[in-house]
Amino acid sequence: MDSVITKSKDVTLLEILDRVLDKGVVVSGDMVISVADVDLIYLGLKVLLSSVETMEKLRGSPFIGPTQEPT
Amino acid sequence: MKDMQIAQEQLVCLYCVTRKEPKLREMLGLANNLYCVYYEDLCAVARKVEESEFGEENLKKNLADLEWVKAAASTHERIIEQVMTNTDVIPFKFGTLFNTDDSLKAMLKEYGEEFKAILKRLENKQEWGLKIYCDTERLKQSFINGETELLEIENEINSSSVGKVYFLKKKKDELIKDTLKRKINECGQETFELLKELSFEARVNRLLPKEVTERKEDMVLNSAFLVGKDEADDFINMVDTLKMHYESKGLFLDSSGPWPPYNFCGLLKEKVQHG
Repeated sequence: MDSVITKSKDVTLLEILDRVLDKGVVVSGDMVISVADVDLIYLGLKVLLSSVETMEKLRGSPFIGPTQEPT
Repeated sequence: MKDMQIAQEQLVCLYCVTRKEPKLREMLGLANNLYCVYYEDLCAVARKVEESEFGEENLKKNLADLEWVKAAASTHERIIEQVMTNTDVIPFKFGTLFNTDDSLKAMLKEYGEEFKAILKRLENKQEWGLKIYCDTERLKQSFINGETELLEIENEINSSSVGKVYFLKKKKDELIKDTLKRKINECGQETFELLKELSFEARVNRLLPKEVTERKEDMVLNSAFLVGKDEADDFINMVDTLKMHYESKGLFLDSSGPWPPYNFCGLLKEKVQHG
């Protein structure tokens, strides 16, 4: 199956960044940049996010799902 | 001295780990200078990247450049998707870099058993994403003339003295706010539960602010599902049904996929270390 072609119409940059920068396997080892740095960058990307505060505020989601993200 | 500098000019960027596949090597050879590092029956798909672009200091600088991030993140995703068309993958976070192939191999050795277990668990499954956005004004309009309690207050407002009207209006606003919250919760819960039934695993992620989503509506649910390839059609049909049901109420379901299983390949070791 060709996933690139079957991928549903609007895959925005947001969808990619939301995964590539924020998710995926993290290993310890011979790392050049620490994963924490990438986390900070994801939260801090100036153009993307005007403030981390907004993020923190919105983390208190109105919807409390049964499978909350582990912190 | 000069030799050392040459050795440091390139770094190894890891994209994903998969099972050793005979055809993979040929396929990868065609694009992007990708190559494989093997350990037992595991295969790590990697690429040599320039120190001048991915070295610690330079990478930090580049990560502040949105255009660079866009291009690099898209490349990362595209490479993993390319591998995913042929086999199951464990996607790695952007910026997983090693100094040498040997250090990458050492990592494979350290986590090998776990990678094998994860690949087994992910077999024939793919990730789908679902975000829900809410147009608050439209949602309000969808119930404002239907909720008995609201209509009662409205009637009371029309037949009350000025002083009382103030308090009644306040009460009405509160009621609208509560109802909005309830409707959003109902939509999120119902959608999540129904899609979870069609999935192997499901998770709720943090909501993203408007600065990130660039949509005028608020994000009210950000979720991911691990769906069997054979069940993908059922999953999509369910999303479409729910989409149609909620659209007129100002609740917009936005699905995407199939993705590499970014949300469903957490390592045990990681959890132990942090817990």
